[in-house]
Amino acid sequence: MEAELRDKPSFTNLRLQLKPGDSVIAEADAMAYMSSTIRMNTKWNGGVIQSLLKRFLGGESMFVNQFSTDKGGELVITQPYPGDMTCLELKGNSMYLQPGAFVACEPGVKLGVGWAGLRMLIGGEGLFRLKVSGHGRVWFGAYGGIFEREISDEYIVDTGHLVAYEPSIGVKVGMAGGIFSSFFSGEGLVTRVKGPGRIYLQSRSFDGLAAWTNAHL
Amino acid sequence: MPALHQTADQQGVFVTQKFSGGVFHADLSDGRAGVEIELLHSHLCASTADGDAFVIPYEECQLEIGGYTGKMLFCRNADRSVTLFSEDKQFPKALALAAGGRLDDQLASQLSKAKGESRRGAIFSFGLVAATLIVLVSLYFGIRAGANRVTQSLPVSLDRELGKAAYQAMPKEGSEITDPLVTEPIQSIVDRLADHAKVEGMDFELHVIDSATVNAYCLPGGTMVVYTGLISAAESPGQLAAVISHEMAHATLRHGLSRISQTLGLTAAVSLLIGDTAGIMAAAEEFFTAASINSYSRQQETEADLEGVRMLHAAAIDPSGMPSLFELLKEEHGELPEALVWVSTHPDHASRIEETQNMIDSLPAKPYKPIDLDWEALKSRVAGDSTKKADVSNSSNESSADSTVDPSELEQENGS
Ligand SMILES: [Zn+2]
Repeated sequence: MEAELRDKPSFTNLRLQLKPGDSVIAEADAMAYMSSTIRMNTKWNGGVIQSLLKRFLGGESMFVNQFSTDKGGELVITQPYPGDMTCLELKGNSMYLQPGAFVACEPGVKLGVGWAGLRMLIGGEGLFRLKVSGHGRVWFGAYGGIFEREISDEYIVDTGHLVAYEPSIGVKVGMAGGIFSSFFSGEGLVTRVKGPGRIYLQSRSFDGLAAWTNAHL
Repeated sequence: MPALHQTADQQGVFVTQKFSGGVFHADLSDGRAGVEIELLHSHLCASTADGDAFVIPYEECQLEIGGYTGKMLFCRNADRSVTLFSEDKQFPKALALAAGGRLDDQLASQLSKAKGESRRGAIFSFGLVAATLIVLVSLYFGIRAGANRVTQSLPVSLDRELGKAAYQAMPKEGSEITDPLVTEPIQSIVDRLADHAKVEGMDFELHVIDSATVNAYCLPGGTMVVYTGLISAAESPGQLAAVISHEMAHATLRHGLSRISQTLGLTAAVSLLIGDTAGIMAAAEEFFTAASINSYSRQQETEADLEGVRMLHAAAIDPSGMPSLFELLKEEHGELPEALVWVSTHPDHASRIEETQNMIDSLPAKPYKPIDLDWEALKSRVAGDSTKKADVSNSSNESSADSTVDPSELEQENGS
């Protein structure tokens, strides 16, 4: 299967050229267009409980679509908000994705939803997150641009900007400065991430968008 | 994470233990891979699915605990070019055992550091969640209070539009009476009170409806509706004026709008704050046509009672009609549960009698001017006009008691 991320970085979409026998899994309503030779099966995204959790708390849809083909064909997948996408190849390692970031993956990739913990809620990242593991490519997206950092030490990330991180990354939520400077500077809470491992950041946060929208209503 | 745990067998022969985990190394494509870690005699050996293998002798091991869960054990070689890690719960213990005590000190210090951090993290999280909850709760109440204030600052024309729209949409229980012998005396009461309304620019528009239902209400903006049943039930013009003043007070105090903003909740409060009234109008029309017009909060009822007394007093109408009305309602309540809509939406007479009487006592003495109407003529006119009543009677008690009203019809009206 050939994959190409097009129209980067603002309106990135994923174009997949499927060979006979190939299949790919994507978010339920992510398909923009596809060849008529491709079959689409909707299936539960993991177990029922997992799916419900994902649906209501993880921002992912309850169903995923499995696209497969006997003859080969083309498939284009988009994400609901403008922004960049990136590809990650798993080789037995895992990655945590923030709610809503997942776009598509190859069949060898396992999707699991997990409780992200209080600190991620505080950090503005949502209570649940998706864990991708196994073997194969995973495509995920962000609101705005995505950039990745390989970190070995501590890094400070503004809340709401963390899109993905490896399980080896330690995450702590804390104040940017003292209590007062934190609350009044607008840079109140920050997420402290600690290596080793890789983090993916989005250049804009949804909170920022919401604040901007409210200010212009 | 499936891990193959095998412990030393009974002969003490060391059997390979495998743990699933990962490796970071620059030579790997993407710099990382999942691995199976084996604890061998003198070293850890990690192998990837692609067949790459990484080895760290136990004496070189630099241990660190961390990762997302705070329970991942990292092991690095001397030049830190290879990092192996596993989150398997058995891994630290097995590693310590396999290394034969060489890593015990490192492991112990890392474990105690990790414990301290997780405790600090939990305390911080808890404190922050508690603080956030407090902020959210106060914000919520702040917005509600703000909405009430905003309600008061909205133009009265909004109330009027709202009231007119609601009146059009409301089911009437009878035909409107245009007979000036009925409407004019009541209009004169409304006019006297209107001169002393708290809000400027409210036009009180009177509708008298031919219905045995003992009720009256005033829609937002001043659309005043009086049922003939109320006129029949009242014992004096003062009591009638008391009900009218109370209902007018609901309008002048703009209870309808605050009720809407409270019922519709935060959304309405926010849209009121940003000045979007179109959505509120639509919802409010619905709200008032749902026959819940007379269901105000207990606090609003008390406010309307006291404001009614103030208006009566200001208009030189004897406000004692108010407590005496409640006395009447208290007595009759048991006998006339169906017809007394006004009573059922305005409960707890004893405290209302007390509160209004207290207010009257505190008002400066003033010569009251009697209400200029022919009470008996009005009552007989109303009784004569009524098409719903078979028995025409001058006695208010009887006429109400005798009134035959379909209870189901009333229940709808009284739905809230
Ligand atoms: Zn009332």
